[in-house]
Amino acid sequence: MSNTNSTGAATGLSAEQLRSSLASIAAANGIRRWDLGAACSTDISVQVDRGEPKQMKGAQRSSITVRVWNEAGLVGVTSTSDLSEAGLERALTGAKEASAFGNADDIPAFSPLATAPLAPLDQPIHAPQGILRLLDTLKGAEQELLARHDAIATVPYNGLAERSSERIYLNSDGACRQQQLSTASLYLYARAEEAGRKPRSAGAVRLAYGAGDLDVAGCINEAAERTISHLNYAPIATGHYTCVFSPEAFLDLIGAFSGLFNARAVLDGVSLSNRESIGENLAVPFLDIHDNGLHPGNIGASAFDGEGTPTQRLALLEGGVLRNFLHSEATARAFGVKPTGHAGMGAKVSVGPDWFEVSATPGSGGGQSGLERFKVGEPIVWIDSLSALHAGVKASQGSFSLPFDGWLIQDGEPRSIEAATVAGDIRQVLKAIVGFEGEAKITPDGLCPMVWVEGLSITGEA
Amino acid sequence: MIATAPPTTGVLDSHWSPALEDLLACGRSAGADLVEVFLERTDHLGVLAEQDTITSVTPAFGMGAGIRVFLGKRDGFVSTNDLSPAGLRRALEQALGMLGLAPGNSSRSGFEGLPALRDFGASKRDWLQRCPELKEATARLLEGTDQLQRQGNHLQARRGSYARDWQEVLIAASDGTFGRDIRLHQSVGLNVLAADGEHRAGVGRRYGTSDQPDDLRRWDATASAAEVCASAGTMLYADYVEAGQMPAVLANRFGGVIFHEACGHLLETTQVERGTTPFAERVGEVIAHEAVTAIDEGLTGGAFGSLSMDDEGMEAQRTVLIQNGVLQRFISDRAGELRTGHSRTGSGRRQSHTFAAASRMRNTFIDAGPHTPEELIASVDKGLYCKSMGGGSVGPTGQFNFAVEEGYLIENGQLTKPVKGATLIGEAKEVMPRISMCANDLELAAGFCGSVSGSIFVTVGQPHIKVDSITVGGR
Repeated sequence: MSNTNSTGAATGLSAEQLRSSLASIAAANGIRRWDLGAACSTDISVQVDRGEPKQMKGAQRSSITVRVWNEAGLVGVTSTSDLSEAGLERALTGAKEASAFGNADDIPAFSPLATAPLAPLDQPIHAPQGILRLLDTLKGAEQELLARHDAIATVPYNGLAERSSERIYLNSDGACRQQQLSTASLYLYARAEEAGRKPRSAGAVRLAYGAGDLDVAGCINEAAERTISHLNYAPIATGHYTCVFSPEAFLDLIGAFSGLFNARAVLDGVSLSNRESIGENLAVPFLDIHDNGLHPGNIGASAFDGEGTPTQRLALLEGGVLRNFLHSEATARAFGVKPTGHAGMGAKVSVGPDWFEVSATPGSGGGQSGLERFKVGEPIVWIDSLSALHAGVKASQGSFSLPFDGWLIQDGEPRSIEAATVAGDIRQVLKAIVGFEGEAKITPDGLCPMVWVEGLSITGEA
Repeated sequence: MIATAPPTTGVLDSHWSPALEDLLACGRSAGADLVEVFLERTDHLGVLAEQDTITSVTPAFGMGAGIRVFLGKRDGFVSTNDLSPAGLRRALEQALGMLGLAPGNSSRSGFEGLPALRDFGASKRDWLQRCPELKEATARLLEGTDQLQRQGNHLQARRGSYARDWQEVLIAASDGTFGRDIRLHQSVGLNVLAADGEHRAGVGRRYGTSDQPDDLRRWDATASAAEVCASAGTMLYADYVEAGQMPAVLANRFGGVIFHEACGHLLETTQVERGTTPFAERVGEVIAHEAVTAIDEGLTGGAFGSLSMDDEGMEAQRTVLIQNGVLQRFISDRAGELRTGHSRTGSGRRQSHTFAAASRMRNTFIDAGPHTPEELIASVDKGLYCKSMGGGSVGPTGQFNFAVEEGYLIENGQLTKPVKGATLIGEAKEVMPRISMCANDLELAAGFCGSVSGSIFVTVGQPHIKVDSITVGGR
């Protein structure tokens, strides 16, 4: 069902072919109501090790997920990477069998917005450069990064990749969504070590719609500067500190606790929010958080979700007040609102965020005027990046205890922190924000300025 | 039925021999040093029960190939879902092209054809059919969530999940490797969220085995629910741990995640290749306390990380990593042997055909010692007892961290109050010499390990161990 050209690159799925095949298989098996999500991609990537190619990879992938509604209205699902006629038939009949175990209390339906107009996205399609050009670019980047400081001996984690992909959503009522995309990514993670000292590491990532558009120089600069900045390190004393979160670190934290905004989690009883939380004060009165998958900085944005609902900008917090939850079709119906474009696809549909915008509430001043009082006297901890969020975050409890890389700033002078964890409760963090600083920065996870938070617990080894 | 039907699109067996020989010969004649083809079919079933309802049934099936070509110390790898002769040939040519090779461009030969198939899967043909059908699987899961309700207090959410992963693999390489296997992994998880006012505790346990079609039938739902509910009841009102440096006693079973994260990953040849392990040049040297002997093996019957052959066609073996504190050897795969000189240990593993194999752990544990667990606790004046561990990770400089799910203070050699929110952090080369006591109660626990070649089934394990001093992150 996927097409290939002479170079092996997938040229895309045929939505019409898929619809035709599914419709005839469904009819032959007595299936009247179905929908489908399909994806295919071709990827190439390279890694290098001290001037030599380490591994070069290519992949052609295709997969579908089909949902079937049975005579009783219950839903079953099956996924497969086998897009042959036999594979499609097995998937549809398998989904029909699974529907016998569908949950009568929570039946997904087609999104009422599955045929609504999509917001335009400016996503230029770039032809792949090819693996040998990627290899040359990455070798050059590694060489330049190694030359930045004598202590940088290796770049143990690195990669340059290109991807061409396509997504389709179809349903038996005639909805047809299709999106093609090209993306490229570069990451450089350097390791530096000085005699008699511990090794230190840091890195940087860049995304673009094509390898030619990647900010390679910026990635090298950022990786070098961050790595070198950690060479002069010292342990930190355990205690409570005012902390400055980098945009990346704060967005990681918000993402880890996005169950606060997730209607599925609310209905399942595992969110810190509940059905009555809309309108509650969750944060300081100058904090806004929006989910905006359509932001031009969101490289590779999806135009529609797993149910075909258009992606949109949605206010989550305004002035610290919870305004909306993220919804699928089923959760929206349960709450009496419209789907928001944040659904996956399944018998039980997952819900998740796209891309956050964190900002000061318009007209609030964002607390910036009050930051000066924190910049003298007591040391400040700058949290540059958080680690091990999968292990250190208790999303349903609100608590976290996470290792981080960062600096201790005393009288304006930063010194890298040897090893430490930061611990707290997200509800307290949101109410202990004292202000924002600097221009909001575009990151792979969202848009955010630096965020100052009072009184966080830091564990160090001093 | 969904739960038992084998894939309909072909069978991976010796009938593939001519097609594979053509590919391998083509790759060799193009100038490759070695060509490897990994074929895979999979059949997955996931079931989720919430409260007293089945809320999700997710069958999935698939197939694919991964083709890897070596030239010198370099390699190119291409994966595809297209198992047609043309699709496989296209993937091979793409992999060759990555190394500057093309079919017919070399007079190199030396491929003598594949030997007879070593079929580890021959006795496993009916495994999928012998697994519980969907109706039985859902009933067992609902029994689990019902037991949670009966045994727990203040439970706001109850979940049971079941995953069954069946995989058939056929591996052929131009060095004469030709093997087939069938793998079966099943796991059951129980999770609860207990809430009482401002107090909240989320507790989960997962139980898993390999190669035992009856596993779900034999699962003791009552005992599993009792373990989860007891932990949730204890942790619901626990205070946050006070941060600092202190001795710690780590319980057996999943406590072994400390060795997995802190040391095991650093003994994989992928880390030697990257220059990110402090142990690279230290074989034969003391890297841990003499109380520590550590093993990685793929042989224990039914263990989550056991396998008949690895994903490069090599039979599993028992590898002593550390003997009485002295580093013995590394965990190695084909590329690791080529690039570091450490001989293969049957540890080339991958999540699926979309990943090239890499040196990965199997069943990895610290061996039993002479003490009782009580002796370890009695030896601590003030410290932390980690009864249940969460996940963790290790960074590129050897720094590790892992979460403590259920902890207790140790005061004057006795367990006192429960504490939550603890994270253990440190560096492998500093912590390994501080594991000063090992108890006599070694047990293994199933887990999943995510790394360079994807997420794979592993076992961690240890007896109770004492770490003389470790950094505990808390409030």
